[in-house]
Amino acid sequence: MKTFLYNIGYFLSEAMRTIRSNPLSNFFSVIGTGLILFLLGIVLVGWSVGDQIVMALEQEAEISVYLTNPEDQVKIDELTLQLQKLEGVLEVRSVGKEQAKEQMEKLLGNESEILGLFDENPFEAFLEVRINLGQMEEVLNKLQNVNGVEYVRDNREVLEQMKQIADGLKLIGVFIILAVGMTTLIIISHMIRQGIYNNREQINTLRLLGAPGTFIGFPFVLAGTLMTVIGGAIAIGFLLVIINSGYQQLSGALPFIPLPVQEWLQARISSMVLTVSAFLGVMGSLFGLASMRNDKS
Amino acid sequence: MIEAKEVSLIYPDGTKALKNINLKINPGELVYITGPSGSGKTSLLKLLIGMEYTSEGELKVLNETMDKNNERKIRKLRKRIGPVFQEFKLIDGRTALENVMMGMRFLGIAPGKMKEDAENALKRVGLEHKIHTLVEHLSWGEAQRVAIARAVARKPVLILADEPTGNLDHENAINILELLTSFKDQDTAVIITTHATHLIDGVKDATFVRVNSGEITVIRSEVG
Ligand SMILES: Nc1ncnc2c1ncn2[C@@H]1O[C@H](COP(=O)(O)OP(=O)(O)OP(=O)(O)O)[C@@H](O)[C@H]1O
Ligand SMILES: [Mg+2]
Repeated sequence: MKTFLYNIGYFLSEAMRTIRSNPLSNFFSVIGTGLILFLLGIVLVGWSVGDQIVMALEQEAEISVYLTNPEDQVKIDELTLQLQKLEGVLEVRSVGKEQAKEQMEKLLGNESEILGLFDENPFEAFLEVRINLGQMEEVLNKLQNVNGVEYVRDNREVLEQMKQIADGLKLIGVFIILAVGMTTLIIISHMIRQGIYNNREQINTLRLLGAPGTFIGFPFVLAGTLMTVIGGAIAIGFLLVIINSGYQQLSGALPFIPLPVQEWLQARISSMVLTVSAFLGVMGSLFGLASMRNDKS
Repeated sequence: MIEAKEVSLIYPDGTKALKNINLKINPGELVYITGPSGSGKTSLLKLLIGMEYTSEGELKVLNETMDKNNERKIRKLRKRIGPVFQEFKLIDGRTALENVMMGMRFLGIAPGKMKEDAENALKRVGLEHKIHTLVEHLSWGEAQRVAIARAVARKPVLILADEPTGNLDHENAINILELLTSFKDQDTAVIITTHATHLIDGVKDATFVRVNSGEITVIRSEVG
């Protein structure tokens, strides 16, 4: 420990020396690692967004009830009262023809111009019913049997589809992460092996002078970790730009997608990529080191 | 300090480099190992620092058995040895001072003290003006002195110098031998190999180990 503290400066300068000793090859290794970690970042973004959407849909247990007779205001008021009394129903709100159109306009955002193609308002009045999540199944059954209800639309189907997509993405993601991890480990451990090989005479001399293996190896682990983290930083830079432009485009075009807060996503992705790259850097360097260990002293 | 009993060294290719060596060296002793080229001088030093292991017999250095199963301890033991290699083994791209400190960094010496000791060692070998020169820019004799400074700055109890007079003119060779022997004190033994026997003919108060085809004869000179 004392030796470690006394030599922090030395370890850093040795690590930098190792990095500089093979600048071109190490430069490309860093770029390669950066690209790979960028891929990892993209997967993580996909996960975070997918999870967020599923969560938002799960919470939004709002049901739309369409009526047999949407022009009959008296009947609508009657039904509103009737549905309110059902167990599990929290709130019933009637949405008029005009309101329905406005809602859709809001939903479509920039694309709402297509609604202008219709001569008449193509929407009809309906009831928005907020229900207790736990009683979803029963309430739906009851609602369907009420006289005057044409059909009931809930978001369960959308939710199921989203979940399936999210699960599929996760599976692909797992493979990508495994591949990314392996590739990074291979690149880094190779880099370290190269560094050790280039420094074999110095290492041999240090051994003969009695330097402990940890003392000899630490600068290499530091170098490998530094390079991986630099790769990670490059990846993060690209990811932040991508997330930013993605949000700008999506929030304009598809305002109804419940994206996570941008700053939260960016902070989360950055810290994850950084942690993963540091971890892979340490592991890769240790592998590289271990594979060179059996040399004769 | 060093105790060899019936030690033999056979290289993997079958070369019998050392045969039935018996040798005892005490702290504070000055030892010259002489013998023709290929006789086994370097091989003997290699055994002492654990670069090779005995094929037969038992060798103890600083109370450690020099045996393959004892590698960890041998690694530690090396911290107390100051080796001067035949080909120096200095590390290029670094200054004389950095090379000397390289041998001290893992000894638990505080950084300030370490630098001071390293500078003093370089002064002692007469290189104070070359402290910040890269070792690859030094002359042969200067590089040799850096190698000696690296060995002694560690304050070892055993200094092993392999052929330190090789490639040097007569005057410089004498100077180097004097310098090396000056590090001998009551705790520190100095072992020097050389084929230049004419340089040490008149030396008193030393032990002479004559190696011939892997066998040794030990002569202890009278205290002068
Ligand atoms: N690694 C090795 N493998 C096989 N044989 C070796 C090895 N190292 C040395 N030898 C042989 O062992 C014998 C002794 O060699 P060593 O290097 O100890 O001689 P030396 O006395 O130091 O010679 P010099 O004065 O030339 O340095 C020689 O015959 C040499 O060829
Ligand atoms: Mg030799």
